[in-house]
Amino acid sequence: MTVDILTIQNLKKSFGEKEVLRGLDLTVPQNSIFGFVGRNGAGKTTAMKSVLGLLRADEGEIFVAGEKVVFGQTATNRHVGYLPDVPEFYPFMTPREYLRLCGESLGMNRAAIRKKSDELLSLVGLSDETHRIRGFSRGMKQRLGIAQTLLASPKLLICDEPTSALDPIGRKEILDILLSVREQTTVLFSTHILSDVERICTDVALLNEGRIALQGKVDCLKEAGRTEAFTVEASGNEQADALARAFSNVTERRGETLVFAGGEKEFLAVLRFIAENGISVRRAERMEPSLESLFLEVVAK
Amino acid sequence: MRSFFAFFKKELLESFRSGKLMILGILFFAFGVMNPAIAKLTPWLLDVLSESLAETGMTVTAVKVDALTSWTQFFKNIPMALIAFVLLYGGIFTKEYESGTLILVLTKGLARSKVVLAKALLLLSVWTGGYWLCFAVTYAYNAYFWDNGIAVGLLPAALHWWLFGIFTVCLCVLFSVLSRNSAGVLLGTGGTVLLSYALEFFPKLKRTIPSALMQSASLMIGAQEARDYAGAVILTAALCVACLAVSIPIMNKKQL
Repeated sequence: MTVDILTIQNLKKSFGEKEVLRGLDLTVPQNSIFGFVGRNGAGKTTAMKSVLGLLRADEGEIFVAGEKVVFGQTATNRHVGYLPDVPEFYPFMTPREYLRLCGESLGMNRAAIRKKSDELLSLVGLSDETHRIRGFSRGMKQRLGIAQTLLASPKLLICDEPTSALDPIGRKEILDILLSVREQTTVLFSTHILSDVERICTDVALLNEGRIALQGKVDCLKEAGRTEAFTVEASGNEQADALARAFSNVTERRGETLVFAGGEKEFLAVLRFIAENGISVRRAERMEPSLESLFLEVVAK
Repeated sequence: MRSFFAFFKKELLESFRSGKLMILGILFFAFGVMNPAIAKLTPWLLDVLSESLAETGMTVTAVKVDALTSWTQFFKNIPMALIAFVLLYGGIFTKEYESGTLILVLTKGLARSKVVLAKALLLLSVWTGGYWLCFAVTYAYNAYFWDNGIAVGLLPAALHWWLFGIFTVCLCVLFSVLSRNSAGVLLGTGGTVLLSYALEFFPKLKRTIPSALMQSASLMIGAQEARDYAGAVILTAALCVACLAVSIPIMNKKQL
């Protein structure tokens, strides 16, 4: 049985006149890597801060590992590691000193702090760093951020847009680290970069206009979004005309590119026709659904 | 308790590495030296000026300086040191709200009350350390040049002023949890002190409000006794405790 590490029920939150969350429902299964997708300003950060008890929700309930989150009294935070989009550390400390402060705040003993710090700093590639945090790049801060969130061995790791501000190499490093911690914890991260989701996530939810518009396993969603269609790009208009005349299931024509309706059987029939009649084509492919097209579809509704 | 000391240690480290502790140390020390120095230089200064003053028709009689002159300087200068202290440390909370550094440690399960108390303890320690450093330096010079025995009510006068500083610190803490920026802290703290001054116009309150603790002159020469200010001491101490006690629940409900 899979257990849900995080459950959000009918969460509502307004800032003044602006309704940011309008009844958000979300469940995050244990040991998943959960992508929380939405446009800038969709309310991702608001939802995450509510989970952490940093914001008072207007309505709705949040449960972390079965315990209710209460604003201000953040007992549930012992299950949670949080990484803000731009994590801010005390600049006058070294990474090791900062982890010691965090460890002592958590009530860990000295030996455990040292052992865990060594382990985590090498995981994020900062073990040789003895400089103060003041001079760190964004990527380094982000990596230190992951180390400090994992210090408590949280059941749930919440990352707010961990890759948004990074260059491609920094992004890859962060994604690899997130992927490698999956054994130990559940990861919930928000992003607007869909390729990141496709790369590492097992589950995904799309936040649109303050509600969850779409949620599920990445594989299932892609499967469900599969349309029975394929395209053939002929080389030359005459070749395209020949194909269009021969088949009645052409749904769309853009110049030399034809879109056919149908699955495996129809696709093979077209290929056979092309081979037998010596029609030259540049490209013939089944349409793979991407998260992007799925989400664009949902948002457009 | 461990997490409280961990955060207090962080505050201490910050004060030290940011150089604030050193700046204040130098400042308090310099004020401590200045008080007897000004007292010592006064006769010489007047002597130098006497000729030009004589031309304008003013005559300067011999000025006698003693430890009291120096202590008077002490109580004149210490408000400036207190203002410098508040300006330097007024942002101790708000800087963390603005940069978001608190979020990470709070989400580690550090209780907000410990943040308030650790920061308050740091402020109280720095003020206490700085104030008595300044006092000790002045005391030592005075003992060398003159005789401190002439200021009979010196200890209660100094304790009163120290308590007034503690009151200011507690106000800083209270306005730090109420306000989001350091301007709010400075306005709130300054405004409350001004209010206390304004209340001195009411003769009945004159001896019982916190700012009464700054009226050190008559206490120092023994014209008044410490017990005349008992009301002010009790009220101020109570206000200090109240400020800190109220700050914790406010901080607990603050949106960060």
